[in-house]
Amino acid sequence: MARSRTGFWLSVPVYAAVVALCVAPLLILLAYSFFQVSFVAVLKEPTLKNYVRILGSETYRWLILKTFGSGLMVAAITAVIGYPVAWFIAKRVVAAKSAFLTLLLVPLYTGDLVRIFAWRMLLGAEGVINTFLMAIGVIREPIGALLFSSLATHIVLTYNYLPFMVLGLWLAFEALDDRLVEAAADLGAGATSTFRRVTLPLTLPGLVAGSLMVFVMVVGDYLTPQLLGGASGVTIISAINDLFGTAFDWPLGSAIAWTMLAILALAFAGAAIVISRSSLGKALAAGEA
Amino acid sequence: MIAADRAKDTSGLGNSPLLQGIAVHKDYGGVHAVRGVDFRIAQNSYVTLLGPSGCGKTSLLRMIGGFEALSSGVLELDGQSLDGVPASRRPVNTVFQNYALFPHLSVEENVGFGLAYRSLSKAEMASNVESALALVQMSPMAKRRPRQLSGGQQQRVALARAIVNEPRLLLLDETLSALDRRMRKDMQIELKDLQRRLGMTFLHVTHDQEEAFALSDEIIVMNNGRIEQQASPAEIYRRPATAYVADFIGGANLAPGRILSVAGETAVIDTPLGRFECPSVAGLQEGDKAVLCIRSELLRLQAGEGGFEAVVTHTVFRGAEWLVEAKTQGGIVISLIVDEPEPPLVGSAVRLGFDPARGWIVSAPTEG
Ligand SMILES: Nc1ncnc2c1ncn2[C@@H]1O[C@H](COP(=O)(O)OP(=O)(O)O)[C@@H](O)[C@H]1O
Ligand SMILES: [Mg+2]
Repeated sequence: MARSRTGFWLSVPVYAAVVALCVAPLLILLAYSFFQVSFVAVLKEPTLKNYVRILGSETYRWLILKTFGSGLMVAAITAVIGYPVAWFIAKRVVAAKSAFLTLLLVPLYTGDLVRIFAWRMLLGAEGVINTFLMAIGVIREPIGALLFSSLATHIVLTYNYLPFMVLGLWLAFEALDDRLVEAAADLGAGATSTFRRVTLPLTLPGLVAGSLMVFVMVVGDYLTPQLLGGASGVTIISAINDLFGTAFDWPLGSAIAWTMLAILALAFAGAAIVISRSSLGKALAAGEA
Repeated sequence: MIAADRAKDTSGLGNSPLLQGIAVHKDYGGVHAVRGVDFRIAQNSYVTLLGPSGCGKTSLLRMIGGFEALSSGVLELDGQSLDGVPASRRPVNTVFQNYALFPHLSVEENVGFGLAYRSLSKAEMASNVESALALVQMSPMAKRRPRQLSGGQQQRVALARAIVNEPRLLLLDETLSALDRRMRKDMQIELKDLQRRLGMTFLHVTHDQEEAFALSDEIIVMNNGRIEQQASPAEIYRRPATAYVADFIGGANLAPGRILSVAGETAVIDTPLGRFECPSVAGLQEGDKAVLCIRSELLRLQAGEGGFEAVVTHTVFRGAEWLVEAKTQGGIVISLIVDEPEPPLVGSAVRLGFDPARGWIVSAPTEG
């Protein structure tokens, strides 16, 4: 009795921190999303007008769609690149495994801005790639579209978040028992069939985890599109930023933020259902039973 | 389904064998796991590959299964070289040491896995899976996941998953080692029975000689990457080819000595225990170093003259009889079975004798 009460009081700071740092700001945002702005004052009368405005605005709908589209695309590209890389590190590298993983993570130590400016030097009109291509005579004029374009944004987003995808998949491959692959071959499965029936289903959790991480980080990335996207650099995140800053429309900004959150939550729930319905999810559930 | 009482031929010599290995060698970059072995495995026989841990049993099995390439030598199945044939194309299935069941598939999906690569209708597939599960008494568990099964049950599923494909050769790697003693005994009987009923050829790796005796038509004894002997259990026990086999199988008493003369199938050997004329392996010559093997159960306590003297160092009650350990003056440790109510006292001197016609002489092991 006394002990459990002590436990309760000891855990209070933890709960307090979670509420203060995570829940409270979101709730404040939620409250604001139902308010309205009149000149420079916030009218604290509940209304759905902000949400109606978002749904009615082609610009906002387009920006939200574009942001999620970027997230999906980068998640897909990193998955395609990361899958063989993770397989290689987990199953083919023996001695230098930690070296490979460190190498993979090195870019993350340098910070966003440094990485972005490094890419500017690579992609710019007088950058490494254009200079090289002109030197060997492939092109006469520098390719302008390399920098300050949607292409540049997505190249760098892919580069930035690839390590997270690889890490998620690497863990899944480490957990994959090679003997299962041998068992599949023993039973007559060729390479493709083994991949489809054994390797892919058993690494699916890593693929889903990696994709979710990459997706969320791409959706929330503000700097990369801003500094590399040029005219295409406007995103829903930068729009929210403008609303909170120069436009001083906190309620609308809050409403957009919550719309994004709601869509994300739905996507997560959908993914969770897909996984739990898959044969793998059932296997996991059976293991816990 | 696959049940058929087929006539049995276990000689492996007259008829062409199902599987033949010629100078099979495996070198893992300096570790010579299998050192150029020759063997033949007859159709419809139950063969065990017996040897201590690390002697190369798994390596040999993996080469047969197609999971490991031969460094040199040839494997032939039905007279056809297996060189370059991938595991997925070999009419060979394996029951893996750790079962290797697919965790994301149910029991019946596991068992049906290999049937997808045959031209079978859905109904045929389902009925084959069903009868394979019935064969190993796992039908009630068809919908479960491997993780919901005990070790013994997983074992049965792994067995069903392999035999449902009707392989020409079934490989079993230390399949029963993880089970407790009681279950192991039961499974041994079931395995043997299954092999007989299906008329399939089983090659079963084990390090347990009791298991090898219980199961085998033939035993291949391996040591240090080499095959020491391939023969029936009785032959291996009574006429071991080498001192290693004599010691490893049933722990014979070994007395080193020198050959005094050879006459046909017997030889006279001079050992610290005395001179004996016993049956011997072929190829011994006068003056050769050799080893006399005497099984514990052949030794008798002897009253009066003859035999040799030893001092009792140890007695162990084994229920039906006593296991007595004694040491000769020459320092040779002798074990014998005493079938009397009371054993000789520890520390007492006893005279021991045996029927030389049932002794056995082998060459001395070459050092190395
Ligand atoms: N993949 C491998 N790489 C290097 N050495 C190996 C490999 N597999 C087995 N060995 C070595 O080969 C020898 C025989 O191993 P193994 O065939 O597993 O023996 P057993 O099954 O009789 O215990 C051992 O010394 C083992 O360490
Ligand atoms: Mg082994």
